[in-house]
Amino acid sequence: MDDMYVKPGNQERGWNDPPQFSYGLQMAHGPPKNLLNKRVAPPQASGAGTPPMIPPISSPLAPPPSGVTAPPPHPARPPPASAATPPPSLGPMRNRSEAESSQSACEPDVEHVVSVLKRALAACRQAVKDQVCNDVEKRLRLLEDSWRSGRLSLPVRKRMDTLSSELQMGHWDSADEIHRSLMVDHVTEVSQWMVGVKRLIAETRKLSPELLEPLQKVVQPSAEPDRNAAESVDAESVQESVDPVCADPVHDSEPPIQAGLGPDSAEPIQDPASQS
Amino acid sequence: MATYQEFIQQNEDRDGVRFSWNLWPSSRLEATRLVVPVSCLFTPLKERPDLPPIQYEPVLCSRANCKAVLNPLCQVDFRAKIWACNFCFQRNPFPPSYAGISEMNQPAELMPQFSTIEYIVQRGPPTPLIFLYVVDTCLEEEDLQALKESLQMSLSLLPPNALVGLITFGRMVQVHELSCEGIAKSYVFRGTKELTPKQIQEMLGLTKPSPSGQQGRPMAAPNTTASCRFLQPVHRVDMNLTDLLGELQRDPWPVPQGKRPLRSTGVALSVAVSLLEGTFPNTGARVMLFIGGPPTQGPGMVVGDELKTPIRSWHDIQKDNARHLKKATKYYEAMANRSAVNGHSIDIYACALDQTGLLEMKCLSNLTGGHIVMGDSFNTSLFKQTFQRVFSKDYNSDFRMAFGGVLEVKTSRELKVCGAIGPCVTLNSKSPSVSENEMGVGGTTQWKVCSLNPSTTLGMYFEVVNQHNAPIPQGGRGAIQFITQYQHSNTQRRIRVSTVARNWADAQTQIQHIESSFDQEAAAVLMARLGVFRAESEEGPDVLRWLDRQLIRLCQKFGQFNKDDPTSFRLSETLSLYPQFMFHLRRSPFLQVFNNSPDESSYYRHHFVRQDLTQSLIMIQPILYSYSFYGPPEPVLLDSSSILPDRILLMDTFFQLVIYHGETIAQWQKASYQEMAEYENFKQLLQAPLDDAQEILQTRFPMPRYINTEHGGSQARFLLSKVNPSQTHNNLYAMGQETGAPILTDDVSLQVFMDHLKKLAVSSSA
Repeated sequence: MDDMYVKPGNQERGWNDPPQFSYGLQMAHGPPKNLLNKRVAPPQASGAGTPPMIPPISSPLAPPPSGVTAPPPHPARPPPASAATPPPSLGPMRNRSEAESSQSACEPDVEHVVSVLKRALAACRQAVKDQVCNDVEKRLRLLEDSWRSGRLSLPVRKRMDTLSSELQMGHWDSADEIHRSLMVDHVTEVSQWMVGVKRLIAETRKLSPELLEPLQKVVQPSAEPDRNAAESVDAESVQESVDPVCADPVHDSEPPIQAGLGPDSAEPIQDPASQS
Repeated sequence: MATYQEFIQQNEDRDGVRFSWNLWPSSRLEATRLVVPVSCLFTPLKERPDLPPIQYEPVLCSRANCKAVLNPLCQVDFRAKIWACNFCFQRNPFPPSYAGISEMNQPAELMPQFSTIEYIVQRGPPTPLIFLYVVDTCLEEEDLQALKESLQMSLSLLPPNALVGLITFGRMVQVHELSCEGIAKSYVFRGTKELTPKQIQEMLGLTKPSPSGQQGRPMAAPNTTASCRFLQPVHRVDMNLTDLLGELQRDPWPVPQGKRPLRSTGVALSVAVSLLEGTFPNTGARVMLFIGGPPTQGPGMVVGDELKTPIRSWHDIQKDNARHLKKATKYYEAMANRSAVNGHSIDIYACALDQTGLLEMKCLSNLTGGHIVMGDSFNTSLFKQTFQRVFSKDYNSDFRMAFGGVLEVKTSRELKVCGAIGPCVTLNSKSPSVSENEMGVGGTTQWKVCSLNPSTTLGMYFEVVNQHNAPIPQGGRGAIQFITQYQHSNTQRRIRVSTVARNWADAQTQIQHIESSFDQEAAAVLMARLGVFRAESEEGPDVLRWLDRQLIRLCQKFGQFNKDDPTSFRLSETLSLYPQFMFHLRRSPFLQVFNNSPDESSYYRHHFVRQDLTQSLIMIQPILYSYSFYGPPEPVLLDSSSILPDRILLMDTFFQLVIYHGETIAQWQKASYQEMAEYENFKQLLQAPLDDAQEILQTRFPMPRYINTEHGGSQARFLLSKVNPSQTHNNLYAMGQETGAPILTDDVSLQVFMDHLKKLAVSSSA
């Protein structure tokens, strides 16, 4: 899970700085599992000044010499542990870094990403003010430059790849959500040009279907894997729908949600390839 | 019948209300004898995913000085199509649109499950949300860079149609024009000169030839073009604003050795407040102030620019030696009140290692419902994530923020309203149900809450007015109605109405019933709010004495004991935790200023008087959980005896999360048992508190500090300073066996406190 991670806070600048949660993790957060809000009442009947009773504990009275202390119960000698210790949660504390995530997933292709964005911009040209388009174009160039000169990290490249695919398929909300996740998680890398991509998404979603055709047509020729998984903006799907070239397993359980609220979203945009 | 615990929980879930007493004493005298006033914690916008808003106007009682909203407690005559108001008993005809109602066909607002209901109403044109960033540029390079990035990031989190504006300041104040084309322009103000709102508005060109005849219409009609220059929709200016933010430089004026940078926070805020006042009065707006140090020049300065003069401490304040304190406080209070009148809220994000003047500026946020966030640097996860969470969304993908709230309270005749404590200001609405006995912000039945979120919680205090010789007849019920009008984050105007009722009880014959209806958690928080409210104006020791007196009286009233025999003293289960809450409250940073700077005290109190019950209670008495091989994680006494070698402790104080490894655990960990396959259970034990801490970290606002420590670690002091010192260096040797961890302190322990309390409670002379 690429975009579900926790990284440590900035201990250098912030005293006891808390860890930082990725956007995906924050969004995926459901209702709390175990609320820690219970308290115990102190024992009432106490003689003056005596401390409350505490359960007897196994450790000896004197502090144990280091190393001699019995280690935690051995599995062979059944400890209360199995019942006692909480089950290993699927807590995301585990995957600490997204960088270490497998390089095996194929490297996103800058040509593909940029060409989709440029086609989207070309589609906008017919409806949107020149000045805005030029500004967007400037930022797309910035994106391309940073990518080609190796200044973009793998997670950013991967998510940009997914973003462009979502954009191409007219999944505006999903594309927008990926843009937000990039701004939150990688603002330093992307802030300069991402706003252009953001505007591009906003302008493209307002276009009429005819204007969008050239953008979307390109999807057809390739044997497009079903992208339904991408319908939910949640993190896993973002991860799963990688570059079209490295086809992902087919998810066909749910139809894509055209969650767009834009005026044009009434017009369902079908991923042609998904129609068997 | 359900237990009181279930009843209390159900009422909190449904109506967002927790009363100190769930049966009400039927006369004024009896009510006073109960010590804890009839009062409640009320969360006006409590999240209710199961409550769809309805699309019509509420039906109001026709009596001019009542105007209560039709609710499930009203008597309805379905045949005559008449309803009787349960507050003033006025009989009202239903409006024509209700002609079709019958027993079988009732509108939602009459059904008991809709004791809380929300109306979407049409009021004027919808106005977008407004966010005005006011940014200090006297920051270190690293901090400024991080702040710029956070602000750029926020443009992606704002709703696209929100209006956004930018003011930057250092020695000068710059108001930036945001246009989509051409060159960047800005208006510059000197940071030393106090200007009237009118002067500022004129200089910004906001008051040009306003059409004669002051019209009541507050919307932006006359000066939209002017306001457009400074406040633009995000979707239109995001690219330019991103660049503008990216190009922000540190304040260019040189800062000589031994000096503080000149920071014109006072003028910058005054410009911000005037700008919004002139363009969008009575419209939801948020001024977001980002500061990296104290105001050092002009009106509102908190400290001079000489570094050798430190910023005021509690000691200076007590010695009346804080030169700028009164003047600055007065300046910011006036501004806060102006802002509140216009319905605009002010957030303060203060990131610096030293104090930044929150003591003087706190009213800006406290009176307008704004946030205060305090951190060490803008380049910390604490700031970045807290700031992100300001823009968090709910289950409907709506922002968890609402604006321009007006909270009104109606009571049945036997009750009067004493006041409210929370992020609100009075609207001075006089009515017969206003009590002369003020508690908190009183003298009114309406308060303005400029900014709210789903956890914003007010303490509401009431008074029973019936005389002892004419008590309320048995079997009756008293009712309270809360009417909250607000601007939803999707720009709709909404009205939420909660109508609650409780039975009256005769305190002489039914005292046990009343006692069992006591909600000790709510009572502790409500009394604590009264204490903190007093502490803002009175000396610390006086507040503590007042709290002690209340506690002793409560124990005298409800304790079971033989006169003059402390050992016989018992409290029933409904009060069993209450003395402990008071013990920890006395030691809390809300009442003790020792070891806290004036800014820190202001910060802690700011959060204490606005959070909901659960969070407030965590602040009073931190939560302590223990993890061991002996069973699942369990809550343990917040006591030094809970600190054991073979346990891991997780403590939540709201502002800090502490994980503490006992001595043995720490040794095991050092020996790396967790890495051996056969000690998988130890690995899991280490992981469990981390996972639980993460749950808390993911939802808490503001983000707490996070401390991972162990026995003997220097940071263990966070735990040691919070637990009850039942074992200290003073009684260590008397105890015979060593369990738990002795604390080096002369503070009294809960046991000593309880012994004194019992002695005083049972004393016949007290």
